[in-house]
Amino acid sequence: MVRKHARRAVKAAFALALAIPIVLGGTANAQTTATPTITVGTKNFTEAFVLGELYKQALQAKGFKVAYKENIGSSELLDTALTSGKVNFAPEYTGILALNIAKVKKAPKTAAATYAAAKAFEETRGLTLLKQTPFFDADSFTVLTKTAKKYGLRKISDLKKVPSLSYGGYPECDKRITCLLGLKQIYGLKNIKFVQLGTIPVTKLIDTGKVTGGDVFTTEPALASPKYTALVDDKHIFGFQNVAPVVSKKLVAAYGAKFVNAVNAVSAKLTNPAMIAMNKAVAVDKKTPASVAKAFLKANGLA
Amino acid sequence: MNAFTLLAQQPVIPDFGQGSRCETENHAFCWGWVTNHWSDTLQPALLQHIKLAVIAVAIGFVLSFASALIAYRYRRADQPIGLLSDFLYTIPSLALFQLLVPLTGLTVTTVEVALVSYTLLILYRNILEGLRAVPEDVREAARGMGLSRLQTLVRVELPLAVPSIMAGVRIATVSTISIATIAAFVIPEGLGRPIYIGITQDIFKTEIIAAGALAILLALAADGLLVLLGRALTPWRNV
Amino acid sequence: MIRVLADTFSWGTFPDAITFIVDHPGLLWHKSVQHMELSGAALGLALLLALPLGVVLGHVRRGSFVAISVSNVGRALPSLVLIAFALLVSQHFFVNNMAALIVLGVPPILTNAYFGVEGVDRNIVEAARGMGMSGRDILLRIELPLALPLIIAGIRIAAVFIIATATIAAIAGGGGLGDIIVNQATYGLSGVVGASLVVSALAFAVALILALVRKLLTGPYVSAS
Repeated sequence: MVRKHARRAVKAAFALALAIPIVLGGTANAQTTATPTITVGTKNFTEAFVLGELYKQALQAKGFKVAYKENIGSSELLDTALTSGKVNFAPEYTGILALNIAKVKKAPKTAAATYAAAKAFEETRGLTLLKQTPFFDADSFTVLTKTAKKYGLRKISDLKKVPSLSYGGYPECDKRITCLLGLKQIYGLKNIKFVQLGTIPVTKLIDTGKVTGGDVFTTEPALASPKYTALVDDKHIFGFQNVAPVVSKKLVAAYGAKFVNAVNAVSAKLTNPAMIAMNKAVAVDKKTPASVAKAFLKANGLA
Repeated sequence: MNAFTLLAQQPVIPDFGQGSRCETENHAFCWGWVTNHWSDTLQPALLQHIKLAVIAVAIGFVLSFASALIAYRYRRADQPIGLLSDFLYTIPSLALFQLLVPLTGLTVTTVEVALVSYTLLILYRNILEGLRAVPEDVREAARGMGLSRLQTLVRVELPLAVPSIMAGVRIATVSTISIATIAAFVIPEGLGRPIYIGITQDIFKTEIIAAGALAILLALAADGLLVLLGRALTPWRNV
Repeated sequence: MIRVLADTFSWGTFPDAITFIVDHPGLLWHKSVQHMELSGAALGLALLLALPLGVVLGHVRRGSFVAISVSNVGRALPSLVLIAFALLVSQHFFVNNMAALIVLGVPPILTNAYFGVEGVDRNIVEAARGMGMSGRDILLRIELPLALPLIIAGIRIAAVFIIATATIAAIAGGGGLGDIIVNQATYGLSGVVGASLVVSALAFAVALILALVRKLLTGPYVSAS
């Protein structure tokens, strides 16, 4: 008799302990599809946070309700989140969309072509791209301005003049035609040495002369300083990486022109100098992405 | 697009405010940053961290308690249950988080499942050993007084096992608080997040030190509170 | 029950992870070696520091407060925090990460060594003393063998913990399999899950080896606890 009670108590405890995570997980996943909530998803670095806040706050200022899923992670995870409907609005880089997600065979030769390829691909999956930004956040070959003056460097092709060349790049760069292999084969810089980047910032390696130049992203705060010069990628090995919001077609259908125009108005204002300034405010001056986005939108009459 | 419209497109870039010299030059510790960002960064992280830990220990306790009762009653259950919790404990925490991601996504659920798994070993072990340590003659005395098996459990064995159970809860809580810092690799919650952001943003010392100190203080405070709780629950013990 | 399983991810990630492992043997081997180098060095130094100290203190039955406090404080130090603090102090990546790992590995070894030796049945020790055995002999021939299960348990806890934390050390330049696990943008989710499987296998292998060592060393003896 007692054993039965004890066993029942144990079973109840088990059931309770199993039920709690199920309920927690279940309620977290509940989402109606009647009028879709705008759910913005971002990746997990400074610029992604700034972009997310910009679009989120601009839409909220126009009266839209916006849910926010920050810090989703890499392009791969963000894409999975989009196709499964977990988010329906995600700013993404056109080059990554075209080359890594759509996996087009021939790399597009212009920014417009990259955008078109990305858009065409996404539209086969119930998604679409809104207008792309003027700014692009691509890899670069950045040197000290001192070095550029010394050898008369303006574009990457000029690097042929430099003896003992080395480049600081991120992991796997040495295997990519869009990175080191491109420098070797397309630019003909056959003897270039590769230094893999890790926790030490690339600017430090450039400063101390450990590398001739390094991969400073084109909207990194460091480029606000006259100390560094990003060489022009005249043969376009680094591709085109403007940003375009990937949105679900259902959103566009549900909210129409008011929604699309609000988003495009923000995108139009995002130039390289603007992004560099905002990234600097967060990364160097330690302001929060939310406050930086707010200030920018306000100054441009968008919020 | 002519020059005029091009000019009209250029955005106004406001002054976002300069960081203090302490912040931009990354001095050892900037109190200004801490006071400015307490409410938007540090406090939310602290509260999220506490929530993660409390849920994990609570669920872990319920599961371990039930398992220990089963193993106490049916000796043969001890080996499989013990092996399972031992197995889970050996998996490196970051790896366990990532292994769960394909199953439960980048959600709190993933983090909680992993955190709960790490509490099982110590809680299960301590509850079971605490019950087993009750001297046989005490049990017989209770039986002799006419107490049923359930009554003996509830009124005699469990109270005597409390010190061991509390020791287990103490260890599990502190470990959970410690491991929860790694949750930041999966979801943007907990004190691990400011630390992670501090490291990846040019090793920003202040944020790392502030969040790290909070995590250590939280663990020590939880430990202290549980010691007091343990003493309150066992007034018949001296010390 | 289905609700708990994420609708964003698929079971297919696990086969992909196995494919990754099969496709990248060189990378995974290189990272594993790096991982074990860091972990092994840290464990070795932690043993050197903590084992003799714990054993001796347990033998003279002094310093239980130290042993307990070290254990409590050690547990309250989140591994990520130690890695981060070590990075602040020095940026010689192998050294600062090894230092953090040593700090994490010392408490379990010290505490278990202390309590293992101290907890040996007093009657046996008294009997040995009565027979005229020197302190050193008692320690080496009676207390240590009987304390072995607990000591090895402590080493096992430390080893598993060090391997686990070495994974996180990747963000502080520590290298190892963590390099893949924290770099999802480069290696994809299949790479991250693959590397997670490999590091788990490593941890299991080490735990298994230590369990076997314990069996070998304590075969003829009865455990003290």
